[in-house]
Amino acid sequence: MSDNEGRVHFRVVRFINESGLKLHLKSVPLAAAAIIYHKFFRDNKLKDFDPYLIGTTCLYLAAKVEEQLISLRDVVNVAYRTLHRNKPALEIGDTYYLLRDSVARCELYILRALQFKVIFNLPHKYLIHYLKFLKDWFEPYQWEELPIACTAWACLRDFYHCSVCLTYKPQHLAVGVLYFAMLCLGVEVPYHKQAELKWWKVFAEDLTIDEIKEIIKDIMSVYEMESTINT
Amino acid sequence: MSDPLQSSSYTNVITSKLKGQEDLEFPFCDDSNKYEKLAKIGQGTFGEVFKARDKKTRQIVAMKKVLMENEKEGFPITALREIKILQLLKNENVVDLIEICRTKATPYNRFKSTFYLIFEFCEHDLAGLLSNANVKFSLGEIKKVMQQLLNGLYFIHSNKILHRDMKAANILITKNGVLKLADFGLARAFSVPSQKGQPNRYTNRVVTLWYRPPELLLGERTYTTAIDMWGAGCIMAEMWTRSPIMQGKTEQHQLQLISQLCGSITPEVWPGVDQLELYRTLELPQGQKRKVKERLKAYVKDQWALDLLDKLLSLDPSKRIDSDTALNNDFFWTDPMPTDLYPMLSRYNTSMFEYLAPPRRRGPNQPGNPNPRPTQNPDHHFERVF
Repeated sequence: MSDNEGRVHFRVVRFINESGLKLHLKSVPLAAAAIIYHKFFRDNKLKDFDPYLIGTTCLYLAAKVEEQLISLRDVVNVAYRTLHRNKPALEIGDTYYLLRDSVARCELYILRALQFKVIFNLPHKYLIHYLKFLKDWFEPYQWEELPIACTAWACLRDFYHCSVCLTYKPQHLAVGVLYFAMLCLGVEVPYHKQAELKWWKVFAEDLTIDEIKEIIKDIMSVYEMESTINT
Repeated sequence: MSDPLQSSSYTNVITSKLKGQEDLEFPFCDDSNKYEKLAKIGQGTFGEVFKARDKKTRQIVAMKKVLMENEKEGFPITALREIKILQLLKNENVVDLIEICRTKATPYNRFKSTFYLIFEFCEHDLAGLLSNANVKFSLGEIKKVMQQLLNGLYFIHSNKILHRDMKAANILITKNGVLKLADFGLARAFSVPSQKGQPNRYTNRVVTLWYRPPELLLGERTYTTAIDMWGAGCIMAEMWTRSPIMQGKTEQHQLQLISQLCGSITPEVWPGVDQLELYRTLELPQGQKRKVKERLKAYVKDQWALDLLDKLLSLDPSKRIDSDTALNNDFFWTDPMPTDLYPMLSRYNTSMFEYLAPPRRRGPNQPGNPNPRPTQNPDHHFERVF
């Protein structure tokens, strides 16, 4: 994938997130939408599709898959509004019905492309468990003061802007963002140095420090790409 | 907008593009014409079911059509849930989803393809078998049916799935005597709410009326796996009575029949029942004694069977037996032990499906249609079978 295509996808995922937040979607359906989107363009060419139609449909489908239903009408209206900030809101009419129909059709197309495999093992649940676990290692005041959870969570959300999110096991990704968050905040897990077993080994046996470093490099590259994209 | 892509009309370009794409060979989703339909064998919650044969491999399958007409919200969520659930649940006692196929989009179907879920084919369903008087189950065979049924329920419940449409017609049995839970068209995942968490609110319009547990009839929306266990109890009794044991015409009537069998529904036997939405709205028979064992005794001679039935048909869902405990019931561990169904079934070489059986046995009340006109119910004379 060329760098330029990567940027297009970055923008579309940002559009997915923005529209999704307006629709009050939670982190899990948002992440699922990004995964569906990246999987779709892993197997299909960007030049053959309007990425914003695909993005809108991913959002709609992900909400259905993750049981946070939103109506087709709301998705169409919100996506249109997000894309066309300066135009008046969409009225019921030919354009509206055309858009609606496009999304409905596109949903079937994406389902076929995914071979109807719509069960995603997301890192979110692992991250929550790991955070709960780590919390008990820190002094309560320390944990209160440090935004480890927020930072890790935000970082995980941002990571979905690039297709590299498809490459890691969810458990590994959860550890990766945690590690990254603690690195940013300049903290270590207490007694980490004395421990015989590295803390991340407890969560994911098959994870190595090299892979963590790899994940961190990828996280950094997502933020680097962001800095080159104007808003 | 500065980005050329954003101004590229996300509308017409795409509609035309997708129309073209529909014709492309798509490796991920086979054309349904690889199967030839042999006969219609049923009517599922969201579409027709056909028996079909793979033209190449000659494998016999069941094809379930996904109804898309009048679908305003794209691909039906019920079908999506069924697909998700069946991909997740691979078990001997759960029907196996082989693949999903589609018809080609052509101008004749306005470029809208039809989707089919392709299942392994099972020769019989329990309702069909029970309505055929020639088919006789020995006690050991009944135990085998119930053991497999509970085993299937144990598996789906431990995977946090509610079936929500237990009935004899949805219990398939292969010619080798393996039981499969089928029709997950109403099934969904559930969560166990935490103490302070928000309670779940699921739709109340589930389960065919005759198999619907009292908590659903009273408007409970935070129901649990116990709703499937009630259905298992109804099916178990049916193994002897050969007909659904409580054939209500309306929800009110169904509650009446339940009270006549299981005793009056009161806060004494079921603490908290008075908090349910419809407890005061609906008329509940008072002063009824529990007669589950007494009334079923005429059909069921085995003491352990009566004991298990009594525990499955408990009014209070929190006291109803769960599948794990039920499997440990002495019923399954006393002589005669569960017996393989194959020898008995091998005597019959025709398929037995409820759909193909004489119409007297077809249930009147599908979920989502809670108030059928009584004229639609051919079973008036059948209302009390014991």
